[in-house]
Amino acid sequence: MVTLNKNILRGILILSFVAINALIIFGISALFTYLNTGADRSKMLHTEIQKIDQYLPTMDWAPMANEGRPMDKQTLGELESNYLDAWYVKHVAYNTNLREGIEDFYTESSRENIFNFIDLNKQQGITLEETTLEHHPKLNFFSEDGQLIMLTDNNVKEYKRVYQNKKLVEETIETATYKVLLLLEDGFWRVRHMVKTDATPNHKYHNKQHTKTGTIHGINYYPKNTPWDMFGENFEIDTIQQDFKLIHDAGLNTVRIFVPYEDFGKAKVKDEKLVKLKKVLDAAAKENIKVLITLFDFYGDYSVLDWTLNQRHAETIVKACKDHSALLGWDLKNEPDLDFKSRGKSTVEAWLRTMLELVKTTDPNHPVTIGWAKPVSAPLLKDEVDFVSFHYYEDLNQFENTYTQLKKEIPNKQLVVGEFGMSSYSGLWKPFGSSEEDQANYHKNIQSTFEKYNISYISWTLYDFENIPKEVVGSLPWRKNVQKKFGFIDKNGAKKASFDYISSSGTTEE
Amino acid sequence: MRNKLTYILMSLVIATAVSVTTMYTAAPISVSLLTTEKTYTAGDRITLSFSKVPNKKPKLYIASSYGTTLLDPEVTETAFLYHVPSLISNKASTVNWKLMLKDNFLTGNFTITPILEVKSMESYLGPPSINAGGDDYTMLTVLPTDSLDNVLPDSTKVAIKRQFKRTFKTDTVLTHNLYSYKLIYSTKQAGRIFTASNCLGIDSKEKDVNVMPDTPVNFKIDVNRLHDYADGNQIAEMYTSQIKDGHNNIVSDGTYVTFYITNKKGYVLKTSGNTINGKATARIIHPDYAEHWQIKAYVEGMAESNTISIDFEQVVADFETQFSKNNREVTIGPIKSYMDQMIPDGLIIELKIYDNQTLVNTFTTATRDGYAAFTLKQVDVPNNTYNITVELAGINKTYTSKTLW
Repeated sequence: MVTLNKNILRGILILSFVAINALIIFGISALFTYLNTGADRSKMLHTEIQKIDQYLPTMDWAPMANEGRPMDKQTLGELESNYLDAWYVKHVAYNTNLREGIEDFYTESSRENIFNFIDLNKQQGITLEETTLEHHPKLNFFSEDGQLIMLTDNNVKEYKRVYQNKKLVEETIETATYKVLLLLEDGFWRVRHMVKTDATPNHKYHNKQHTKTGTIHGINYYPKNTPWDMFGENFEIDTIQQDFKLIHDAGLNTVRIFVPYEDFGKAKVKDEKLVKLKKVLDAAAKENIKVLITLFDFYGDYSVLDWTLNQRHAETIVKACKDHSALLGWDLKNEPDLDFKSRGKSTVEAWLRTMLELVKTTDPNHPVTIGWAKPVSAPLLKDEVDFVSFHYYEDLNQFENTYTQLKKEIPNKQLVVGEFGMSSYSGLWKPFGSSEEDQANYHKNIQSTFEKYNISYISWTLYDFENIPKEVVGSLPWRKNVQKKFGFIDKNGAKKASFDYISSSGTTEE
Repeated sequence: MRNKLTYILMSLVIATAVSVTTMYTAAPISVSLLTTEKTYTAGDRITLSFSKVPNKKPKLYIASSYGTTLLDPEVTETAFLYHVPSLISNKASTVNWKLMLKDNFLTGNFTITPILEVKSMESYLGPPSINAGGDDYTMLTVLPTDSLDNVLPDSTKVAIKRQFKRTFKTDTVLTHNLYSYKLIYSTKQAGRIFTASNCLGIDSKEKDVNVMPDTPVNFKIDVNRLHDYADGNQIAEMYTSQIKDGHNNIVSDGTYVTFYITNKKGYVLKTSGNTINGKATARIIHPDYAEHWQIKAYVEGMAESNTISIDFEQVVADFETQFSKNNREVTIGPIKSYMDQMIPDGLIIELKIYDNQTLVNTFTTATRDGYAAFTLKQVDVPNNTYNITVELAGINKTYTSKTLW
């Protein structure tokens, strides 16, 4: 027994010795491996620098007719990139009052001018949020040796918010013309001289108004299986086509759909997404229904330096769809008033105002609206939008009152109830919720009010959904579960009682 | 400062001073710009004064070429005075401002022009070398700036001076859009052009441009040989005439000349040289058998020479071969040259062993003191009867039915 025990003990000792050694060797080798990483030869020369889109205002070059050397595409691309970066680093510097980045895009003597402003503004507690939305440069001169460029940047549309001691003092859009001289230094085009030659304050917003679009009998639409991910991998145009037929047969003439900002590729909109969007429009055209496209879904930054990226996004989508016969118009942003608290009302409003102008200039032939979450927000920007739309999830009894009040406040514009509806959820997370019968009653009642005043409406929504992404209402089950049951058709595909009241004309088929 | 104040008071007395170009919206409180000056020179002290509004201290938003800031007023009994800081007043720009009274904005512009005095002349000359002949050119760009680093206004005269050999030339150009430039065309003669510029009495640094010879034109070649025997030992030297461009400039040293030699069989040999003082030489060893060469040289893509032909005479007339040691020791020689002297060391000899028509092995060696020897080892050449061929200096001799054992 004793020898056996001894042997066991020996065995354990030897094994643990081996194990400890193995661990030590493993440890040393792990450390050695770690110390050997990081010096990847392929990355030593920084040959692959990925350019991130951070600043993309419109660059509208005048036809090249410069003195000196003829301009080539490659140099023009580099010049444009460096020149915009010069503006970008300046915006960032004036926002933070730090000097970072200025050296890269301004020559030694010209950077002093910016440093002086930074010092003064820092001392005075002044910060700026600024961006430029449009540039119309004309190349005047390119030296024969390719080292010096002079350009005139006409009518630069500058947006500025000036803060002093963190309080907004001034918000302005002005257009200015600059003469800029750039030198090629260390492979960068750097600003050597910059002279403002003209400045017009108080930009007038482009605001061509559209007349009424006719009464909208509409519904907010997501396919049953891909809510909030309509243009994703499970995109099926056949399903959408069938749904549009159903919508049309139910007596409706409009769908409101959503274009998610990031999913569509932000500033560089993906072609495949546009193809899908156009297929949806084609499907709608086949069923003779109109589409209200809501832009910037799931976007919530609004920061001034992000605007140029947003604009390129909107511009691409609007350009792609503006001639489509099924297009009803543009809803700039779904419920932006919900972001007032976190992003600041004036920032959001300024964003909407400039974005509205961009969409209107890109597509002058379709009306633009903003899908306000609350009726109280509806009067905001009422003069700028073509029709006013708001969402109504409040007390049904108050609706008529709310509507008539708003109508008084906004007598000249069509009012559209862009979203309304009731969940038929009643269960564990909301024991005293509403039944399908309640939902049907709700729609019946509200439709009678719509009919009374001939109100345009877009209801929420066609289907009950099984999965709600957490970005929509968060992950709390009492919210998620309620959100699942807003449909006129349940998850098994059966029409709920409310379906009879999907439109004011009622459904004719049953 | 005193001048400014007097000026302000003066303007108060004269009128209620409504600036013509100033726009303002109708509002309950009337405020107006008292300053009437619209144009300043960089470095001036600039003060904007506005009629006073009681109990207010509005800020002035002001934006110039490089940036934006806010100014607080100095409140006097009758006016708000805004002292424009030097970082704005020193830089040429259109400056726009906005007086920020609530609901009553007043906006306007003024212009700051550069000082008409040059402090420094930045000049850029490029490309730094051009071709002679008058078609090629370089560009001298001049940016005259004042003491506050502002570029002088449009239509400022800039004198561009240049010198080549003994000629001087001066042209006057006008600044425009911040720059002025002059194209400088090359001279017929190669050399160096020196340039300088002058603006309002201030001179720039010297800049120079090299006028390089233009592309070469066709040239001639010749060959230099100590003798014309094909001894495989001496070196033939080919050389070009002095290569020049179309304007009689000798091409730049180092111009690369390639010589192509086509032999009797139509094969091409190649050698090359770089020019020094327009002449390039290239060398090649004599062949070791009679040859006829055609030689032509090129400066690739630009110029070519005439074609010359040269002949090499055969030097080895005949030779003897002895077989010994079971026919495994093959001794060749004496091999004699054109004066019956022993051929210089290094003539290549090739020995081929055939079994009937089939090549069994090849051996190569070089002569030494007029002789060459091969030892055929059993591993290389097994015992058998062979036909053995010896080839040297273009002469071929075959020894049939040699039995090796």
